[in-house]
Amino acid sequence: MSVESTPSDESLAATTTESLGSTSLERGGQSSLMFNFERFALPGLFAIVLIFFGTWSTTGHLFGTAANFQEVASNYVYIGILTLASLIPLVCGEFDFSVGQNAGFCQIVVATAMARFHVPLPFAVILAIAFGALVGLNNGNVVARLGVNSLIVTLGTSGILLGVVEWYTNGQSISLGISQSLLNFGSRNFGGIPEVVYLLVGVALVVYYLLEHTPYGRYLTSIGSNARAARLVGLRVDRLKLSAFVFSGALAGIAGVLLVAKNGSASPEAGSVTDTLSALAAAYLGATSIRPGRFNVLGAMLAVYFIGFSVAGLAIAGVQSWVSQVFSGGALFIAVVVSTLIGRRRLGTT
Amino acid sequence: MTTEATPGPSSTWRKVALQIDQLSKTFPGTRALNDVSLEVESGTIHCLLGGNGSGKSSLIKILAGVYQGDPGGTITVDEVSERSDRTTPEWARAAGLHFVHQDLAVFDGLTVAENLAIGRGFPVRRFLWSIRWRTLNRRARAVLDRFQVHVDPKRLLGELRPADHTMVAIARALQDQSLAGDQGILILDEPTVALPSAEVDILFGALRQYARAGQTILLVTHRLEEVIRIADRVTVLRDGSVTATLDAGQFDHAKLVELIVGRALDSEASAGVAVEGEDLLLEVSDLSVGPLHGVTFGLRRGEVLGVAGLLGSGRTTLLTTLFGLRPMDHGTTKLDGTRVVFANVDRAMDAGLAFVPENRSDSAFLEMDVRENLSAADLPKYWHRFVLHQRKEAEDARRSIAEFSIKAISEYQPFATLSGGNQQKAVVARWLRRKPRLLLLDEPTQGVDIEARGEIYRLVRNAVAGGTSVIVVTSDFEELARVADRVLILAHGRITAELLPPHIEASRITELVLSASAAEKAGPGAQEMENSHQ
Repeated sequence: MSVESTPSDESLAATTTESLGSTSLERGGQSSLMFNFERFALPGLFAIVLIFFGTWSTTGHLFGTAANFQEVASNYVYIGILTLASLIPLVCGEFDFSVGQNAGFCQIVVATAMARFHVPLPFAVILAIAFGALVGLNNGNVVARLGVNSLIVTLGTSGILLGVVEWYTNGQSISLGISQSLLNFGSRNFGGIPEVVYLLVGVALVVYYLLEHTPYGRYLTSIGSNARAARLVGLRVDRLKLSAFVFSGALAGIAGVLLVAKNGSASPEAGSVTDTLSALAAAYLGATSIRPGRFNVLGAMLAVYFIGFSVAGLAIAGVQSWVSQVFSGGALFIAVVVSTLIGRRRLGTT
Repeated sequence: MTTEATPGPSSTWRKVALQIDQLSKTFPGTRALNDVSLEVESGTIHCLLGGNGSGKSSLIKILAGVYQGDPGGTITVDEVSERSDRTTPEWARAAGLHFVHQDLAVFDGLTVAENLAIGRGFPVRRFLWSIRWRTLNRRARAVLDRFQVHVDPKRLLGELRPADHTMVAIARALQDQSLAGDQGILILDEPTVALPSAEVDILFGALRQYARAGQTILLVTHRLEEVIRIADRVTVLRDGSVTATLDAGQFDHAKLVELIVGRALDSEASAGVAVEGEDLLLEVSDLSVGPLHGVTFGLRRGEVLGVAGLLGSGRTTLLTTLFGLRPMDHGTTKLDGTRVVFANVDRAMDAGLAFVPENRSDSAFLEMDVRENLSAADLPKYWHRFVLHQRKEAEDARRSIAEFSIKAISEYQPFATLSGGNQQKAVVARWLRRKPRLLLLDEPTQGVDIEARGEIYRLVRNAVAGGTSVIVVTSDFEELARVADRVLILAHGRITAELLPPHIEASRITELVLSASAAEKAGPGAQEMENSHQ
């Protein structure tokens, strides 16, 4: 370990500001300003996007409406839940690349259960979550117990699930026999807000609590920071990693149910690796703000809707769809670069 | 090893391959080398000996060009002189000094031929830059033949025996030397640390042959029995000065230990006083695992037990096994008279054990803050009725920062921005907060500044006053002598001696560590050696 570097004024000032704003050691106002800039850059950009598309004459009349806000809010719940699913393994330093495809698999599970086997909705949902968790258990077992690289393992899982879905559905969507209450849940508003948004808020709160306010979350963070040190303070690293994948799988199951609620059917094309990429992009983009350098729930949710509203605004402005693709990809690219730089500065290795 | 008779110094006149004149090296506050002069004759094996802090490594680093000496000295290689304050790695390479360090820097996953080519360049086709494998392997074959390493160049290095790893590293270092005439100097820095004794024989057999063929070898080692077996000449350093240069036949174990330690060998046998009684916290009997064989000792409540041994003696294995990091093959451990087996670290922690590992990379959570690092081992304390009481956690962190004199601006400061010494204090504090019954310290002051060193031991002393027992492993015998109530000498996995006050002195520890490892070799080790050659 050659971390003998004396703390730079900048990072010290940064820390003090970060400390819940309670300690007021005013050192180098400029650099603490810099830190706050970093911390609130994403919310700031988000606000700029909203104001820009809301006031620009080309988009304002459509973008600024309640209908548009409801539409975007509701459409991005699915990516939001996938983001939370990918966040938990990321905190302990592992990738779950299978969340998108797992959601696609679970939507087939929930739809088949209702349409073919006439399982009541609550049990169908539980079944979907259980299948999702089972996929996570399998990922976690191979990653945590055998020590195989998680990116490769979950990429493989993703491929297998894709094949299974195609084989089982024969390429056909399942749209008959799906519970009406599930469809209602996907399309109705409550108090002017789409009902599915409440689901996202609920799940986000649970994950936030889990990661930030329980020893479990701290353990995962410790493993992500230094797995060997985590083992030496008595943590069962393999079990904890395994559990992170199970959580991730279960959340992918919920995302699958949501897909059916939103689309009104289970299509073999819905839920794919592309969605995984969007989720990872949001998780990384979120790690650049609120708690820079750390994967965090609030930042990730902001990132999901930053991308969502930006893409919606671009669509209303009439740009071609490839622009939106480039925008999402660019956001991921910048997010990864920025969060790496922040992490490096926190480690004092710049 | 019949070929390896006692190396007789040839009486014929030999050329001096390396000459060091009046070399000094001053660090702020300390003089590492003091007017050192040394001659290494061509085609001989010259051993460099000395205890910790004798200046051995400074000398090697100056030769390698990593450090520069003070002005005034000269280093002459093959009759070309250079001022001692102007050595650089480029100079060392140009002068023909070839180093093989303890960490061989070879690649298990590559073939022998690839290992030889790395850092030197692969033969490639002119247009596509694709590797010419046949040429690569043919060249490797030639190099291996020249150095009499009998392995297939296409085999993965990882599949070879340990001695071959060292020999491949040597072949790689020497491959560019011309076949005859002026040859460079091979400098081996503790090449045998990781080798079992049979492998050492193979390596030494090869070194002997290289020397006979005219290769000059400078060998740095801690192991006296190896010096006696292989050296044509030995130079002993103590406190930065040369205490003696002797030819083979002029020295034996006792003489070398005396030269290293600086006084005559204390022949009084240190009769190990069996520790018994009600007062015992820990009883280890007949523990065998990895390098350890039948280790038996006791530890009293509130005692600081030092463990001294060379690298590879099993000192770290002892601590990690006690802490439940690896299962023991044989033996029992009793804590408070009850037999315990820790299948896991958390079980050991529940029983009141604590372990500060040798490297901070095994203990520091750099991306996390000071508070989180401090509470890493007792987080459940703050978890109450589904709430993690982070305010209480922060309060305790502030208290710990004050109590353990950690220099941090706030408890939320990123751990990475603390100095090494303060990080280490925080790691020690992490465990002392738990009020452990048994604290295991592995090199607790490595890479830590002097001030922090003192503070770390003050903190440990405070804990001891509160009833904690401590086992401390350190290579700094001065430090060990200061902090330990009792010292065990560990050599080749066995406890060979025990030191009690008033006999705990750094020189005495050095002496026992060195002679113990030598004595051990002459016993069962020698037998093992013979068996392996039948």
